[in-house]
Amino acid sequence: MAIGMRVDGWLPGWLKRGVLSDHLILWLSVAYVLGMAPWATGFVSVSNAQTILAYLLPVLVVSVGLTLVLIIGGIDLSVTSIIALASVLGAKVMSGEDGWMAGNALAVPVGVLVMLAVGLGLGAVNGFTVAVCRIPAFIATLTTMMFVSGFAIWVTLSRKIGGLPAGFVMLGQNLWVATVMAVAVTWLAHGFLSRTLYGRWFYAVGQNARAALVSGVPVGRVTFWTYVASGGFAGLSAILFTAGLETGNPEMARDNLLDVVGAVVIGGTSLYGGRGRVLGTVFGVLFLALVDNSLNLVGLTFYTITMVKGGVILGAALLDTARTRILARTG
Amino acid sequence: MRNTWPGAGGSCLAESITRRSRLLAAVVGLGVLVVGGGCGRAPESTPEGGGKRLTIGVNFETLQTEYWVAGFEAIRSELKKRGIDVVDSIADGDSSRQLQQIRTFITRKVDGIIFVPKDARTCIPAIKAANEAGIPVVLFNRPAAETEGVRSVAIVADNRKLTRETVSFMVEQARQSGRKHKAMVVVGDLGDANAIGRRDGFYDAVKGNEEVVEVVSEVPSEWNQEKARSGVVNGLQAHPDISFIFTSSDFLFPAIVAALKSANKYHKVGTPGHVILGGFDGDATAYQMLEEGYLDATGVQDVYFEAEQSVQAVLDLLAGKEVPALILDPGFVIHQGNLHDLKDRMWGARVMGR
Amino acid sequence: MDENPPMRVDRLTEPLLAFRRIDKGFFGVKVLEGVSFEVHAGCALGLVGENGAGKSTLMNIVGGNLCADAGEMRWNGGRYSPRSPREAERAGVAFIHQELNLFQNLTIAENLFIGGFPRRLGLIDRRAMGERARAVLREVRLEHGPDTPVERLSAGERQLVEIAKAMMGEARLIILDEPTTSLTTRETGRLFEMVRQLRERGLALIYISHNLEQVRALCDDLVILRDGQVVGSGAMSGFTLDRMVSLMVGREITQFFPTRTSRPSTEVLLEVRGVSQPGMVRAVTFELHRGEVLGISGLMGSGRSELARILFGLDDCSAGEIRLAGECLNPLPPRERIARGMAFLTEDRRADGLCLEASVGDNITLVALGRMVGRTKAVRREEAQAAVRRMREAVRLTPGARDGQPVKTLSGGNQQKVVLAKWILNEPKVFILDEPTRGIDVGAKCEVYRLINELAGRGAGVLMISSEVEELIGMCDRILVMNRGAIGDSIEPGQFDRERILRSALHSGVLA
Repeated sequence: MAIGMRVDGWLPGWLKRGVLSDHLILWLSVAYVLGMAPWATGFVSVSNAQTILAYLLPVLVVSVGLTLVLIIGGIDLSVTSIIALASVLGAKVMSGEDGWMAGNALAVPVGVLVMLAVGLGLGAVNGFTVAVCRIPAFIATLTTMMFVSGFAIWVTLSRKIGGLPAGFVMLGQNLWVATVMAVAVTWLAHGFLSRTLYGRWFYAVGQNARAALVSGVPVGRVTFWTYVASGGFAGLSAILFTAGLETGNPEMARDNLLDVVGAVVIGGTSLYGGRGRVLGTVFGVLFLALVDNSLNLVGLTFYTITMVKGGVILGAALLDTARTRILARTG
Repeated sequence: MRNTWPGAGGSCLAESITRRSRLLAAVVGLGVLVVGGGCGRAPESTPEGGGKRLTIGVNFETLQTEYWVAGFEAIRSELKKRGIDVVDSIADGDSSRQLQQIRTFITRKVDGIIFVPKDARTCIPAIKAANEAGIPVVLFNRPAAETEGVRSVAIVADNRKLTRETVSFMVEQARQSGRKHKAMVVVGDLGDANAIGRRDGFYDAVKGNEEVVEVVSEVPSEWNQEKARSGVVNGLQAHPDISFIFTSSDFLFPAIVAALKSANKYHKVGTPGHVILGGFDGDATAYQMLEEGYLDATGVQDVYFEAEQSVQAVLDLLAGKEVPALILDPGFVIHQGNLHDLKDRMWGARVMGR
Repeated sequence: MDENPPMRVDRLTEPLLAFRRIDKGFFGVKVLEGVSFEVHAGCALGLVGENGAGKSTLMNIVGGNLCADAGEMRWNGGRYSPRSPREAERAGVAFIHQELNLFQNLTIAENLFIGGFPRRLGLIDRRAMGERARAVLREVRLEHGPDTPVERLSAGERQLVEIAKAMMGEARLIILDEPTTSLTTRETGRLFEMVRQLRERGLALIYISHNLEQVRALCDDLVILRDGQVVGSGAMSGFTLDRMVSLMVGREITQFFPTRTSRPSTEVLLEVRGVSQPGMVRAVTFELHRGEVLGISGLMGSGRSELARILFGLDDCSAGEIRLAGECLNPLPPRERIARGMAFLTEDRRADGLCLEASVGDNITLVALGRMVGRTKAVRREEAQAAVRRMREAVRLTPGARDGQPVKTLSGGNQQKVVLAKWILNEPKVFILDEPTRGIDVGAKCEVYRLINELAGRGAGVLMISSEVEELIGMCDRILVMNRGAIGDSIEPGQFDRERILRSALHSGVLA
């Protein structure tokens, strides 16, 4: 309370408006780019923008899915393991070396479908255990994660699968194609959440599931489909990851979970449910990618970057708290 | 130069790291001149004074074992010695991050890239990107999967040959003991070409010597200490008379020694009940075991040779010379007999000495 | 204000706490305006006002949770502007809230010392803690050892622990905010005795309550707030109950329960036959007619709320049949029942009535939103906004609240109006109301009654569950009394009698 009050008193008008803006993280990103440009050689350049984009798109897609889950007050720890399994199964179908459909003209579409199906299917498993069996989401998705990542390694004997067809690799490495795919699903999710009846249901379930149920919201169905969607986004993300590295990899995205959760939270989505926006997640992913990339350019070590990123996430959380307080005070 | 390396190189590294984190990117100019001047000369490749200094990007997949740290520092030191600027990054086991980091090198317009790929496959897009930017790529210690149109040079230990030599030495010891030995081999992650090479080298050496060494147990470790330990314990229970153990990497020795101790089979070379032990890598643990007289032999990867060859390969590629796609490090077998003469070339001994 | 008798003049000392023209606003709405009054040591001051009058805001300013926009407070003659609850506590202000602030899983002693454990050699000194706790528990006459976990205490005993805690902190002013709502009569008696003792010892008390009788019985002085302003203050002897009420409401309440012009029809809307669920309800049978307000009375735990949940499909029933306009509802989930015209205002609006974080508009449209979408399920915004406007007028929501404001910032009465608006927008045929006026102020109660009559007038059937017998008598066409899961009595109009209802509710040896 005390901090909130002081922030309230101190801030000059323009800064306060900035802090209160819905696009706060976007402004921070712009400020960050301007501030870092003189220090990080090549930070502002077309080739670096491409590097950032290639890194950011797969993370964005899975983050959007997780945003949905957090909004209904859930959590999905299994997304990165779903990416890994979709990656290796898709690659097993398509690989030109020993894939099940090697050389077949339909290998790419089938592979893509398999990857999406893996995501949707595992999402449905999560949805079933959470919505129907009423197992807490943390436990349900944690066990999915353990099982699925173990399965991905078992099925490949921890070998990477290469030799993916050019038509597939293009999906992730041609930035136009990848951007169009990622932007399209992000835009769909955004419209869905902010404009449709179902979107309103999502928020209601996250804000107060009991009140939502009494008000006629099909809470179980909403919960189920949220996890299915999250799995689906993970499947799509797996396509971008796998094509980007030209490899089916049972360890794919293994280290990305906290990045993803961090980006979503920086974007203003509450871990307690009921609050958040897809657009915020877009900004959050962008901001973290910018920080990561610039610190790499400057030449900091991985460990330093991790620490800085932790600080950035904490800073964003503090800013968000201050913002909520100011809003509560002044409207 | 090599003999003065540990002290000089170490302080150089520390100094430059603090400098970098404080001054961010400002280092590339003056800072390195100071560091370079303090550390060594720039002999062959860069003209002093006029002309552009070279910058080489060094990326390691991980720094989580001593071997990688030793390699990382050896390369940095080699580059410094030749007056070449270094930018570096660590991917911490994440292929996507590694790809981004290599792309970042390209954005920073480095003249060459030396990196340890996460694995043979996921590094292909990174190499492609460097190829497209016309930047020479050298892979340190791990080759890439052969892929059409992707060009890189890899410096790797000749795992099979070096293992064969090491194990042959052990077999010779066994023969001299005048009795037949039952043997165990601890193999690595068979998704890793290095692990396969070492396993094959082991079998090359024991083949035809079945009257001296009979292999009764193959323990899969997947490069994991815990798996190695439980595997060895189980093997020793099934075959209590095992008296010959080879591990595909020295970093598994702590697990193996623990298992041997609990079976009361850990004794010095030449004492009754000694189990003939051999390994691969030449790390600090192995060095200590050699010094204390428990270890018979280990195949040492010549990190300094590999570092020097990596840098040389980049320079050769820049100069337009023909470089083979695979450069092999022959390594050497170190054992009780030659320990004193060769320990200066053993990276594990230097790690211990620091 | 001049017409009120002056406060007791026998005090020669400075006031302990004085408010001087305190202003405070939220969301651009003035919540407090020029509030001035004094609290004296050794006196109990009653602070009354409708919900939303500004009592809680004022007390939050005293307690350091909020800062006044203008004006000042004086404490013991000096300036007082606490910036945190801790500062207020250090000055000697103790707060006893509506919702208690004890840690249920800790013991009494641990709760007492939570602000600072006695320590010896850096460790918690359990023995010193026990001794000091026992001494203070004797003072508040709580017959439990200091090691008793708080979760084992009754509500009244917990209240005493709170008071003990305040005494431990050497408080000089104790603020009691609705302390008796969850207490039994005996516990209330004990609390009052305690309060009187504290006053004798020279402590100042501020007593906030909707129970005007209690305030009259307990307090020396009175301050009445309305819409953030002091509309009456002075010695308690100058106020009658009627005068207190009319000052609070700002108008004379001539007729509390509005009369209904419409009559119930004979057409059966909701038919309940032999509904049973073990441990909850037994063979409940009744009919609800079009335009009828049917009351359900009964003690807590008599199965009233359980019956409501079963009727709405939130709980199962093992036997019996529920028909709405002839159609059997038994297997249908709440969602389907809502689609067929059912509505349910739950007993606990915070737990399952509202999305507190969500806006007024989002809450109002939550149920009926399905009708305001196109084929793509995109919400037609203008339509939704128009509906919210319409409903706000219909339930007379405070004009100060914006559509985008989170409902948690509204007063209890306005929150309840939002719940009603949410259901009325869906044009219900059968409206189940479980304790519709719980915890809301007099003015809001009137509004709720008016809305119930309006619904009945439009031909809806209303099932009204309430613990307030007066309310049922004033509002209903017929009253069912539930007793241990079954309907014990059905009282026809003209036979309403407070005593008969209570007797039926208590029948067969169940004690209050």
